Amino acid sequence: MSSTTQATGTTEPLYPTTGEPVSIPARRNRMGIWLCIVSDATGTLALLVAYSYLWSLNVNSAWAPPKNAWADPLLFWLVVLGSLIATLLVWWGVRAVPNHGTGRLAMAAGVAALVVLATLALQIVQLSTFPFGPSDGAYASATFWLCFAAVYHLAMLLFIVPAIVTRTRAGRITPDNYSQARLVAMFMTWATIAIFLGALFATTMTVSPNENSPSFGTFQE
Amino acid sequence: MSDTAVVHQIHVPQPRQHAKPGGILRHTSIVTGVIAGLVASIVTYLIGSHFFVPWGTTNADSSQVGLNALICATFVAWTFGFMIGVGAFAGPIRWALGHDLTHADAEYMAGKDQGRWRYFKYTTDHKVVGTQYLVMALVLLGLGGLMAMLIRTELGITWMEVFDPNFYNSIIGTHGIVMIIALIIVVTGPFGNFILPIMIGARDMAFPRLNALSFWLLFAAVPPLVCNLLMGGMRDGWTVYQPLGTQAPVGMIGYQVTIITFAFSTGIASVNLITTSVTMRARGMTWNRVPVFVIGVIASSVMGLVWFPMFQYSQILALSDKVIGTSFYNPVEGGSVWLYENLFWLLGHPEVYVVIIPGTAALMELMVVFLRKPLFSYKVAMAGFAGVVGISSIVWVHHMYMTGWAPSAGYPFMLSTELISIPFGFLVLVMLGTIWRGKPWTRLPMMCVYAVIWDKVVGGITGVYLSDVPVDQYMHGSMFVVAHFHYMLMGAGLFAAIGATAYWFPKMTGRMLDERLGSIGFWVAFFGFQLTFGSMFVAGLQGMPRRVLQFDSAFNISNWLSTIGAFTIGIGMLVFLYAIITSWRGGKPAGSNPWGGKTLEWQTETPVPLENFPVLPIVTSDPYGYGVPDPYDTASAPIQDDKQPAGVR
Repeated sequence: MSSTTQATGTTEPLYPTTGEPVSIPARRNRMGIWLCIVSDATGTLALLVAYSYLWSLNVNSAWAPPKNAWADPLLFWLVVLGSLIATLLVWWGVRAVPNHGTGRLAMAAGVAALVVLATLALQIVQLSTFPFGPSDGAYASATFWLCFAAVYHLAMLLFIVPAIVTRTRAGRITPDNYSQARLVAMFMTWATIAIFLGALFATTMTVSPNENSPSFGTFQE
Repeated sequence: MSDTAVVHQIHVPQPRQHAKPGGILRHTSIVTGVIAGLVASIVTYLIGSHFFVPWGTTNADSSQVGLNALICATFVAWTFGFMIGVGAFAGPIRWALGHDLTHADAEYMAGKDQGRWRYFKYTTDHKVVGTQYLVMALVLLGLGGLMAMLIRTELGITWMEVFDPNFYNSIIGTHGIVMIIALIIVVTGPFGNFILPIMIGARDMAFPRLNALSFWLLFAAVPPLVCNLLMGGMRDGWTVYQPLGTQAPVGMIGYQVTIITFAFSTGIASVNLITTSVTMRARGMTWNRVPVFVIGVIASSVMGLVWFPMFQYSQILALSDKVIGTSFYNPVEGGSVWLYENLFWLLGHPEVYVVIIPGTAALMELMVVFLRKPLFSYKVAMAGFAGVVGISSIVWVHHMYMTGWAPSAGYPFMLSTELISIPFGFLVLVMLGTIWRGKPWTRLPMMCVYAVIWDKVVGGITGVYLSDVPVDQYMHGSMFVVAHFHYMLMGAGLFAAIGATAYWFPKMTGRMLDERLGSIGFWVAFFGFQLTFGSMFVAGLQGMPRRVLQFDSAFNISNWLSTIGAFTIGIGMLVFLYAIITSWRGGKPAGSNPWGGKTLEWQTETPVPLENFPVLPIVTSDPYGYGVPDPYDTASAPIQDDKQPAGVR
């Protein structure tokens, strides 16, 4: 719009609701996402602290699951791999947008959405096939919750990644205005890091180092 | 793009308008929210109780896992149902479908031309959200205050038991958490939302829809908490130490769901407040020109953003122990109660500053107006805020001296706790320095400044005692501790909120607060407060433990006085509330700047227009330059003496 360009002195497209050049709300959105990531990171830290604290204490010698049936590490890393592939795909798509490659973004985000869906399914399969239940000791409890956190992050991705496909196809993401796609990729990067940290803890910190743990008995006659 | 809209005199291309402006939000409100929430919770309860829940299944603590899961699902269904019904999910779904808001949509959602009904809808205008927060804070304070009256009734009638002990304990816990929530929102909610964007020269918050989301999440969080009283209650104080929480009746689930939901609300509000303050300041508002209230809100939001998830996860894991039988806090199964205490207090102590800092900043904001002199050392105030935010994250263990956790950690944490009194002292000194040699215009907001300084000094000094490991070993769990934290939270937090309310009331409502009634209410409450908690200090020093309903007759006199004081507070607060209601309905109309303030919220008209300013302001001077002529203000500034540098008088 020539009137737009003249009125604001910029060639940037304008944000429909406020009339600002789109880079201004983009800056706000970027900061908002960073703050959300900080908050989410603190929550993830709480889970990791809970895991490592109980692992280091081995209270009542009840850290290990029954019959030392630890979870299979392979599935943890497959979930990380799925999340990583989806994230890389979206970044690959985002990088093409400035060169009018919105088609590549739509395709990459579409494939990423399918990968996220498959990863989420894999995560649910893992949760339902653990050789222990959530009440089988501290390791079992903490591992279940690391996986629940992964489910939460993957579910978030399952909402925002297909949205990028829809928005790109609807012309909302353009070479002049693609900050939302970048923000989704940023959040995916964090989600992958969070899932990776969970997998790292759950697969490397299994047997407790504390062999002289305090005993509280069983409270059973 | 289908059309253009004129936004602030600019033609802006618009996305296609899919339906009438507002879309589905035209049909949603608090009524549809409550109906959807009730339907969702009732259906969940009925389906769960008939088909899915293995009634009678017990976990290691002999509590019914099935029943716990059913109640948890019912509360969660209420929360989701209410949020769907009120229209909270409309925005994300529109975004995902690529149906972006048009300017007309945004105006509808901001409540344009919708009259008072906009206060009962998912309205995005920051002024509406601020007002909603104010009313919600008053309701919660009333609820918590009513429970305080019940507690003091039990403790004051020393010759008989008024309540069942379990109900009494539940009242104690519910009073605590209701008041904590109320005090967290009472300044940041109303004034952070209503005043802050105008104060920095913005048209709205950075994320208007998240703003509405944060309020309605808070609204949805309250019913489960209140329901706990009907379901066995929460008998373990507001801290709900484990494994008591896991062993408690199902009412405890109401507390846990409330905290988890409230943490989401607070996190979203914090993101919004910080982003707004950092990215939406008016041109010329450099960091050394930012009003101190904005800095206080940022400091409080940072603490909330970083530490609230710890509190949230302490409750998520507790709920998990209760509902699916995990063993995070059950030592028999490998859990640890100290894990809970650490996660809980990692927020639990910063939360005190989340309450106090915005109130303190609000008082600093108003005192310069009523003293007509600049803030004494803006930079020291900034250092004080920064110091409190930084050190508050390394003091939590002083709540755990007596738990047996890491006894050797007590002394480093004693040092860090005492250290925090230094930046906190900065803030008090800035207030005292500003008053020093000032000529105060003694109105109600200024009276609150004096009251809060007194309460902070009493609460702060007793806090230094309690931070000492040896003293805490004697005082822990006594009425002395109760008196101390009430001086900090209520004395410094609530009375600061009263001051802020009295100060910004004309801007928020367009009417002056009835000063005479308001002052009577305030001073009655203040006198009652000193009587209540002064007597409680004595009872604590004599050795009276907290959270008991039977005690030795040696403590009778202290308790009688405390009860008289508590009812005096109640009378004072009712008078103040009456002043608010009558002034809001028919008080004297206020001009746009009744106090002669220099910050931006006073430079726009009252009532504040939908987009706050006809043209966004440009800041050219210090907000506290009282007595300093503005070189750009050619209309009112005196002619400058050539020999005197501009800005010096």
